[in-house]
Amino acid sequence: MDLTFSDSEAAFRDELRAWFESNDPGPSPEGEDESYAYRRDWQKRLADDRYAAVHWPSEYGGRGASITESAIFFEELGRARRPLPANVLGILLAGPTIMTFGTPEQKERYLPPILTAEEIWCQGFSEPDAGSDLAALKTKAVKEGDEWVVTGQKVWTSGAQYSKWCMLVARTDFDAPKHKGLTYFLMDMEQPGVQVRPLVQITGEPEFNELFIEGARIPDENVLGGVGNGWKVALTTLMNERSGLAFFLQVRLRQLLDELVEEAAERGLLDDPVVADKIGHLHMKAEILRLTAYRGLTTIEKYGTPGPEGSLTKWMWSETNQELAQFAADLLGADALTNGNRWAYELLRSRGNTIEGGTTEILKNIVAERVLGLPRLKGATA
Amino acid sequence: MNFDFTEDQHEIKRTARDLLGSRSALAKVREAAEAHQYDEGLWKELVELGWPGIAIAEEHGGQGLGAVELAILAEELGYAVAASPFLATVLAAEAIGAGGTPEQQAKWLPGLASGEITGALGNADGLVPDAEAAAVIVLVDDSDPTRPARVIAREDADVTAVDAVDPTRRFARVQSDGGDALSDSAAGVDRALVAVSAELVGVSQRALEMTLAYVKDRKQFDTPVGAYQAVSHRCAQMLKDTEGARSATYFAAWAADAGVGGSVSLPEAAALAKAAASDGARDVTASAIQAHGGIGFTWEADVHWLYKRAQVDAALLGTSGKHRRRLAALLAARLVGAAA
Repeated sequence: MDLTFSDSEAAFRDELRAWFESNDPGPSPEGEDESYAYRRDWQKRLADDRYAAVHWPSEYGGRGASITESAIFFEELGRARRPLPANVLGILLAGPTIMTFGTPEQKERYLPPILTAEEIWCQGFSEPDAGSDLAALKTKAVKEGDEWVVTGQKVWTSGAQYSKWCMLVARTDFDAPKHKGLTYFLMDMEQPGVQVRPLVQITGEPEFNELFIEGARIPDENVLGGVGNGWKVALTTLMNERSGLAFFLQVRLRQLLDELVEEAAERGLLDDPVVADKIGHLHMKAEILRLTAYRGLTTIEKYGTPGPEGSLTKWMWSETNQELAQFAADLLGADALTNGNRWAYELLRSRGNTIEGGTTEILKNIVAERVLGLPRLKGATA
Repeated sequence: MNFDFTEDQHEIKRTARDLLGSRSALAKVREAAEAHQYDEGLWKELVELGWPGIAIAEEHGGQGLGAVELAILAEELGYAVAASPFLATVLAAEAIGAGGTPEQQAKWLPGLASGEITGALGNADGLVPDAEAAAVIVLVDDSDPTRPARVIAREDADVTAVDAVDPTRRFARVQSDGGDALSDSAAGVDRALVAVSAELVGVSQRALEMTLAYVKDRKQFDTPVGAYQAVSHRCAQMLKDTEGARSATYFAAWAADAGVGGSVSLPEAAALAKAAASDGARDVTASAIQAHGGIGFTWEADVHWLYKRAQVDAALLGTSGKHRRRLAALLAARLVGAAA
């Protein structure tokens, strides 16, 4: 057991710290479009120095970073308070999925512009009637000559308004069992059959979108991983989703907690034993999250498959982030309940944490069935 | 970065699990608990294996291994809910080994390492495990934070046996104005905290495994009760609490061995481990009783040994609340320099 970084890991961390130190994009501008353009520029800077996707192989513009080095990248990105790159879904989800299932032509065509943020990607999985039960999705793709014609509706597609491409899962065989009749497509968003409508969330912001697809056309060569193989390909995407951001989120949580403690100190609240107890509790949970995430890395690096830790970190993070925001409301009173205040924003935004990227209930099902080996209730599935 | 045991450490864990599985099965624990008497044969065997001295320096007759190896054994003895003076003895040895004066170390460690004597450690206002039979007692007085823990010879202490809720272990109240202060009380007590936390992790792990076996087997409405989400989600929570406490405890054990000077502070890691392991084990063992249903509330089932062990261990050397406030003070001091 050695919980210090190896020499090469420490060198990579120091190199990143120096780079982030000398590469500061400054504060994000006001306005949704301006803020997105700012993150796009930021990603170009990262890509120029091969930092946009360190976990990608070097042949695709990455650094072939180990899973620990990739974790270090996201930790340092968060620590330096630099923004996530604009095309984060392309880098973390679309890219690795294309690398796994893509043809040589697909890899050559799609990977380079993902890295440079020239082409943004969004994820078209969830539907109004297919959330946790993703395989129940109804969006339909019918073959017409060399093309697929797609009709349906997707929801929770973040970044759709800026996206050139969509990772789309649609049903291509209505007679097959529900997990078998799906196909994974790379869909061009810039066509009349695709309409993007902002979905305003409880914060008042449109962070996500609804996608209305009416006779959109996808050439056959844009099938990824073979017709009927969509469930397997989608699972690869989802597995990436659950591991990639953990370290960035973990550091952001840590920063929020530290800032709250500083605020509490300024207001002279730290001597209150109830406040101290709660701060100690949140500090404990934040540390357990960090340590459990690191344990998960070791398990993957040493044994090749994720251990029980991997299923727990998203649950831990989302729960702790909500508790933290709620505690801020207790501690800071009216300020934290006033729109425009960052804690007020956290109070609202954090409610989504236990839903997005797998609800806590589904995560518990996964833990119960796959980690603990408990029997599955008829009809319910992880 | 490597958050895993070495091959030797894995081997220690396997050996301990196997040995305790046969020598301290739950039937044995029940026997000892109901008779209010330890199995002398088990203790003798642990002594022959050198377990009490695993983390005591070689110059004092120990094996000279570290807090990680000790945590592994403490976890396995917790998993077995072993009825034995092991924990009390190693707590005293850890406190004296890390925080004692050279004289204290020379006087007590060889006997503790060889198993010739047993030790005890606890709070002046709390239940001290195995104090009655101990030759040396380390007493921590939290009522006065400036007062260091003291090393007290048994004959200088006023020891009153207490029939505590955990019948798998002997407890006592200890009063004494005697003894000599540890030279580094904080370091000694923090290392002891790591070992208690490790035992609590073992208790949680056992409670989880017993519960899983039960809910897979027990059927109601023609369905194993573990298939119902009200039950399976409780089990998932038990895993989360157990693994979280495990992460914190292994980290603290590593920090204890890595020593000061690094970026990791043992006080913070030890407080983190004790808070997480105490809360975790109390919740997990309570859930174990609940998930066992009516049978879980009976004397006949074995889950209550775990619940009781968790309750008393959680109070030993300070409750989770005490350690949370300690964590808050350490964090505040780091962030804003406040000596909160």
